Amino acid sequence: MQETPWEFVVPDKTPSCTQGGARRAGIMTDVHRRFLQLLMTHGVLEERGVRRLQKHCYRVHGRTAAVEELEDFINNINSVLESLYIEIKKGATEDDGRPVYALVNLATTPVSKMASDFAENELDLFRKALELIIDSETGFASSTNILNLVDQLKGKKMRKKEAEQVLQKFVQNKWLIEKEGEFTLHSRAILEMEQYIRETYPDAVKTCNICHGLLIQGQSCETCGIRMHLPCVAKYFQSAPEPRCPHCNDYWPHEIPEVFNPDKEREAGTSKANKKPSRSRQH
Amino acid sequence: MLQKPESGALPIPQAEGKDGGRDGETQALTASQEEAPSPLLQESSKEDLGAGREEGAAEPALTPKGARTLAAKALARRRAYRRLDRTVAELVQFLLVKDKKKSPITRSEMVKYVIGDLKDLFPEIIARAAEHLRYAFGFELKQLGRKHHTYILINKLKPLEEEEEDLGGDGPRLGLLIMILGLIYMKGNSARETQVWEMLRRLGMRPSKYHFLFGYPKRLILEDFVQQRYLNYRQVPHTNPPECEFSWGPRSNLEISKMKVLGFVAKLHKKEPHHWPVQYREALADEADRARAKARAEASMRARARANQRAGIHPW
Repeated sequence: MQETPWEFVVPDKTPSCTQGGARRAGIMTDVHRRFLQLLMTHGVLEERGVRRLQKHCYRVHGRTAAVEELEDFINNINSVLESLYIEIKKGATEDDGRPVYALVNLATTPVSKMASDFAENELDLFRKALELIIDSETGFASSTNILNLVDQLKGKKMRKKEAEQVLQKFVQNKWLIEKEGEFTLHSRAILEMEQYIRETYPDAVKTCNICHGLLIQGQSCETCGIRMHLPCVAKYFQSAPEPRCPHCNDYWPHEIPEVFNPDKEREAGTSKANKKPSRSRQH
Repeated sequence: MLQKPESGALPIPQAEGKDGGRDGETQALTASQEEAPSPLLQESSKEDLGAGREEGAAEPALTPKGARTLAAKALARRRAYRRLDRTVAELVQFLLVKDKKKSPITRSEMVKYVIGDLKDLFPEIIARAAEHLRYAFGFELKQLGRKHHTYILINKLKPLEEEEEDLGGDGPRLGLLIMILGLIYMKGNSARETQVWEMLRRLGMRPSKYHFLFGYPKRLILEDFVQQRYLNYRQVPHTNPPECEFSWGPRSNLEISKMKVLGFVAKLHKKEPHHWPVQYREALADEADRARAKARAEASMRARARANQRAGIHPW
C-alpha cells in the first residue's frame, strides 16, 4: 500500500461488510452520492426530473466524466445499496403510466419512512385511509368516510377540521392524491409500501392481470373480474381492433386509454393526462 | 374484509428475530466474538470463515461428529454475521430517516429502536453504519460533544456555488433559514425575536398563519430549526417584558459559513460583501479559522493513517 492521505484510503472501494465477500461492481463517486441525496429529498421523482437531476450532478461533480446511461447509472447505485436493503425503484403513475423513481426499503416496514414527519395519530389516520382505499372498488376513499373514522384514531384526539389539514399534508408530501374530494395512493406510496401492503392485506389487495403489480386504480372485466392498470390496458390493447379480456375473452367494455408517450408530451407542452377523465369509474 | 395489521406496531424498522431471539444465535455470536477479531477488519473475518471451511476439509482425521459440529458452528457464525449486517442496514435507514427531520439522534434511541440486544456491539455497528453513510451517501456521522451520546449527519460533499445548488424538496425551508441566519449575522451575531418576525412580516408571513410552503412559521422556526440545532433561542436576561433572541446554532456553524451568508445578504441588496466592513472582516477571520482547523484535522488523519499502516491495520 502506498502512502496516501486518510481520505483516500477507502475511496472507491466498496465496504465489503458482508461475509462471503460477495463482490459488488458498483463504484460510488460524488456524482452518485449527490444524486442519491437529492433523490431522497424529493421523495419521488418523474423520469424527466430524474434525468435532469442526473445531468445536474454530473455538471457539479463530474464535468469531465462521461454521462452514464440512466439505467446503468441507477443499477450502479443499487448494487452499492444492496447490502443496505434499499434500492432506487422504478414504477409508473397509475392514471397515465408516467415512469417515476423513488428510494425504497426492501425490508418490510410499516410506514416507517413517514414516521419522522407525522405524529402517532396522523400516522394512524393514514393507515385508516389506506385501508379504505385498498378495500374500495375504485381505489378511492371519500373524504367523508375517512373523516368519520377520526374518533377511532390512536394517540392524541383529533378533530375533523384538523384531520382535513392532515390529509392535505399527506397530499403535499406525496403520499396521497386528491381528486374531487376523494383520496387515492400517490405513486410514491405504492412504490414505497407495495410490499408492506401485500403482506398486511393479502386478502383485500388487488393485482394487475398484465404486470402482476399492486393495483389501486384500474379497469376490471365485468364478466370474470380480473383487473388491469390503465397504462397496462393501453399497452395491451394498443393495436387491437376489438379489445377482448385476456382471461375470459369477453368483449372489453371500457374506453381504452392512450399509451404515455414522452415525446408527444414534450411537443404538446401540456400533459395529455389533463385532458382525459381524471380517473376511471369503470369498475 | 380487511385484515387488520398488528396494533401498536412501532413505525420504525424492526430487526427480525430481535423479539424472542434464539439462544443458539446469541451463543454463536459470543463464540464468534472470541474467535474472530472485530468484523470491521474484514480481511480477518473472511479468513476466519474460510479457515473454518478449510479445517473441515483438510483434516480427514476429524470424526463425522466433529465435522458436523464444525459445520454447525460455521453456519451459526454466518447467521450471526448476517444478523449483524441486517442491524447495520437498519441503523443506516434509521439514521437517514431521523436526519431528514434534522433532529439529533441519541445512542439510547438507536439501541431502543434498532440495535436491541446487540447493544454490546454498538461501537462496531455504528462504525460500520458510519462507513456506509460516508461511502454511499456522502454523509459524515458526527458526535455532538464527547460526553453526550448524540449524533448528527453532516454533508461531506463539496459545498456548491449558489448557481449550482439544487436543494430538492428542502429548498424553500433552507432559503428561509438563510434569511434568518443573515439577519442574525448582520445584527452582530444575535437578533431579537421581534426583529425576526418583523422581517418575515415584510415578506408576507405571520407566525401562526399557515403558509403554503412553510406550514406554520412559528412552529418551523421556534421548534423545528431550534431542535435541529440550526438556531439557538434563549431569553435575554434582565429584559422586562421578557424578550428572546436568536443566534446561530451549532449545525449552522458546521453547514455554512459567515462568508457565505454575508455573500447571500450582499446579493440580496445588490452590493458587494465588503460594503459592510465590520462583517466582512469578521467573515475573513472566520474563513482563516476554518482553514486552520481543516489543516490540523487533515494532518492528524494523515499521521493516524501512517501509524495504522506501520502497525499493519487496514481500515477496510
